[in-house]
Amino acid sequence: MSKMDMNEVQDVVKEDGRLKTKDLIFAGAFGAIYLVMMLAIVMGTGSIPILYLLSPLTVGVIGGTIYMLCVLKIHKFGAALILGILFLLISSTSNWLSIATAAAAAVLAELILFLGRYKSRKMYLASFPFFNLNMAAPFALLQVNKQQFIDLSRAYYGEERANALDAMTPGWIWYGLLALAFAGGIIGSIIASRLIKKHFEKAGIV
Amino acid sequence: MDFTFYGDDSKGLIKLDPRTKLLIFLTSGILAINAYRIAPIMIFGAALCLVLALCGKWITALKCMALLSLACYTRYMVETSGRGASAVLIIVSSLLSIFLFTFPVIISFLLLAQTTRISHFLSALQAMHLPSALVIPIAVIFRFVPTVQEEWTGIRKAMAFRGIELNMMNAIRHPMRTVEYVLIPLLFSTISVMEELAAAALARGMDAGVKRSSYEVVKLRAADYIVIAVFLCLIWYIFRYGKAGVVS
Repeated sequence: MSKMDMNEVQDVVKEDGRLKTKDLIFAGAFGAIYLVMMLAIVMGTGSIPILYLLSPLTVGVIGGTIYMLCVLKIHKFGAALILGILFLLISSTSNWLSIATAAAAAVLAELILFLGRYKSRKMYLASFPFFNLNMAAPFALLQVNKQQFIDLSRAYYGEERANALDAMTPGWIWYGLLALAFAGGIIGSIIASRLIKKHFEKAGIV
Repeated sequence: MDFTFYGDDSKGLIKLDPRTKLLIFLTSGILAINAYRIAPIMIFGAALCLVLALCGKWITALKCMALLSLACYTRYMVETSGRGASAVLIIVSSLLSIFLFTFPVIISFLLLAQTTRISHFLSALQAMHLPSALVIPIAVIFRFVPTVQEEWTGIRKAMAFRGIELNMMNAIRHPMRTVEYVLIPLLFSTISVMEELAAAALARGMDAGVKRSSYEVVKLRAADYIVIAVFLCLIWYIFRYGKAGVVS
């Protein structure tokens, strides 16, 4: 970062100009696909507690391709940030820790793209594991107030499921979920790079 | 699937401002987190369906209300009868809970998406002085969720034509292949829709960088204030009585 002086920073940000309406439309549309995919997975697997806790991994594995196409298609400052903010608004506004996590994940991903100056393919791939940390954000209630989380599931899903969730979530589960989300991100970006090479580059989409 | 996705409130008895609908949408998110007794869920669901009906979608509203009543009734019976194998009970009650949990969000989303024209929505958001980097993506999301749904049905049909069945067994045996089969055509077809949308936006001069004028008049009317007041009362009610244990 120190090597990059202020002029260069401005060059990187300005290179293609600011985000145009076209880019915003792409961001919104990919956001819609990403959110639909995420909700479909969480609801589809939500009735089984262990799969519910694994959802940071599964969403990362599948969502990687969508995220990667979005940032590659827009190719400018702001893509990851907007996608992250849309994610935050929909899924993680329940407490301060989840808001902070989701925001931090979006900023980190954008920062890594920025360090790659929106050119380096490796940096694009490296940014997704950080972006995917936001999948741990909806679970932040486990860290802030676990009792409330368990009470909520008890009221919603009944005694058995609450006890199962309680047994499956030791004190360090939040860090475990962060690690899971990161691992899902890594797998997701590997898959994304393969699928993009196989399909989208040939078609000339990215 | 019918094709009345993209917003029309011309048949409605009242015409609500998009901002009011946004408030209802946010309220339903709060309900999802804070209410899990049957009475608040029923009351809130009924209020949502009533608004939906008043805005002109009374058939959808009736269907949703019937579904909600059925789900609440089943849940009540499951909770009070105390019989049945516990495995079945867990599955049934968690499916019901997921339905009840998402119901208000889905209804208010329908309200927002099916009874609001995009141009109306855009000018209302602009009247709130939000930056365009946020306004356009949000508007596009509401326009795009139904598109994703349509493409999804199309892909299912195309897969069936080629003899590829999309079911739980295949998804477990070949997870990566299933993802590829679904995701790649979905992304290809939605990307071409996005390009068209972007071209349309360009043609309308969204990039011109001047303040856009609009035929749409955005103004909160009496009906809006009444609906807002009712929903604020409902929020208070949910926070006070929504949780188990406050009043049993």
